[in-house]
Amino acid sequence: MIKVENLSKMYGGFKAVDDVSFECRPGTVTGFLGPNGAGKSTTMRILAGLTIATSGDAVVGGVHYRDIPNPGTQVGVLLDASAQHAGRTGREVLTLSAITMGLPLTRVDEMLKLVSLTPEESKRRVRNYSLGMRQRLGIANSLLGDPKILILDEPANGLDPAGIHWMRSLLREYANRGGTVLLSSHLLHEIEVIADEIIVIGHGKIVAQGTKAELLHTAGTFVKAGDHSALANALTSAGIATLPSGDGGLRSEATPEEVGRAAAAAGVALIELRPAEGAGLEEMFLELTGDTQREAQTIEGVTA
Amino acid sequence: MSTATVEKIDTDKPDVPFFRLVRVEVRKMFDTRASMWLMISTGILIGLAVAISLLIVGLNDNVAITANGFSQIMSFPLSLLLPVFAIVTITGEWGQRSHLSLFTLEPRRSRIIGAKLVSVLTLAIGTIVLAVALGAVANVAGAAVGGYDARWNFGMSDILWLVGLQIAYFLMAFALSMLFLNSAATITVFYIFALFLPLAVYPPLYFSFGWAQDFIPWIDFNYAAAPLASGEDFNGDVVSVGTIDYVRFMFALVLWIGIPGIIGLRRVLKTEVK
Repeated sequence: MIKVENLSKMYGGFKAVDDVSFECRPGTVTGFLGPNGAGKSTTMRILAGLTIATSGDAVVGGVHYRDIPNPGTQVGVLLDASAQHAGRTGREVLTLSAITMGLPLTRVDEMLKLVSLTPEESKRRVRNYSLGMRQRLGIANSLLGDPKILILDEPANGLDPAGIHWMRSLLREYANRGGTVLLSSHLLHEIEVIADEIIVIGHGKIVAQGTKAELLHTAGTFVKAGDHSALANALTSAGIATLPSGDGGLRSEATPEEVGRAAAAAGVALIELRPAEGAGLEEMFLELTGDTQREAQTIEGVTA
Repeated sequence: MSTATVEKIDTDKPDVPFFRLVRVEVRKMFDTRASMWLMISTGILIGLAVAISLLIVGLNDNVAITANGFSQIMSFPLSLLLPVFAIVTITGEWGQRSHLSLFTLEPRRSRIIGAKLVSVLTLAIGTIVLAVALGAVANVAGAAVGGYDARWNFGMSDILWLVGLQIAYFLMAFALSMLFLNSAATITVFYIFALFLPLAVYPPLYFSFGWAQDFIPWIDFNYAAAPLASGEDFNGDVVSVGTIDYVRFMFALVLWIGIPGIIGLRRVLKTEVK
């Protein structure tokens, strides 16, 4: 299991990680969600002993990463799939790790098969790999030593939708065998697909955490009409407070029935009327990314 | 979710043994295309050096090259390109960012640096053995081609100085690579101070100016070593070796290996790996 307590990291006057605390338990896949630059990678580097925290503590299985003997056989880490020597073949990258950990080289073939890299692909140099292939290689590398805990930074980045579902079943099986997984993503959609527990981070601070069901469940209603302003007026005059939500709709704390009656009374035709599942998380995430819109991909992920 | 078997980290597991780290580092010196070409280029240079030496011996009736001479000739092509291995073993990790996974498999960075140092020294000593062996073969061949008796003027002291200086250059390359953590900067600085200046700039200064004869040995350990190794300076004049010659040699070693090595090691051990 992974435990982070009151972790902070300052770079000069900038707080990259600000009093972050969370836990990842065996048997669960925990998703670390936040826009780029929110502090996910810094937290994960601190967990892996590569960055020194300014204050607070981060332990893996009860000990600091630096104190783990032969750590590759106990904790699988993938921090950046592109951070491999471009001139080595994929097979060679795994072979070097296997020698370091003292594993039989048959393990390399097993892992290549597990991540669906063909023998031909494994003999190509990493320079010629697509981002998706690098991610598969990185995941093979992190699983090589049969660790009980996995720390993966943006492992689904560059994977196609089929690849993301492949990763979900891979990590789901891993967690079912008692493994602990922490993975990060800047895309809500990826985290929704893969994780059971979600931690949302923005500007170095945790803004929400809980099980997927808890976070996706929101009381209230999502409603949408062809005539947006007519709907807004109808609800306001019926005394129902609303907030703009994704896709040009409105969200309200009122029940779907109340909203439906108010719209019918005013004669507004509705396109959509449903319980606002997930809308809360989506809005929170939009708000987080709105002022730090670093790339169009972030928004794309939210509406996907 | 409560799981009966809470996975614990086993802190009693044996560490990654040092020899395995060395084995990996040695393998990494040869498993990229760049390193393969570096080896092939060195092989071609050695072949050229042997061929040219034998050609000269064969074409000139009154030239004979001794075993020591051949070994010096062979060590030149080896020391020309091989220090690049000592440099990229460090800077390659930072440049390619493979140090991220390297330091997650062995978080104690000093052990990784130690393994890299051992692998670099193994290469340095291995190449010297090769140079001496090739020198011996070329010596026999040279004697046959030139029609003279092979001269085995090889003293233990000659071998030790040859090995010592070769190692010093590898250590210099290694120390600078930790200081800069950048291939281009390290290779530039190393070849300017270890090859270009000693071959192209120091000699004319040395032969023309008295101050240069006093000054250059302070900043170049090869010049400083000459009187200690052979009792002659670079002019070929016999000198009486005094304390000052040892001080100069030590100073040059500290300047190029000690200082960059200590600052560089601190940098490698302390800096954040991103």
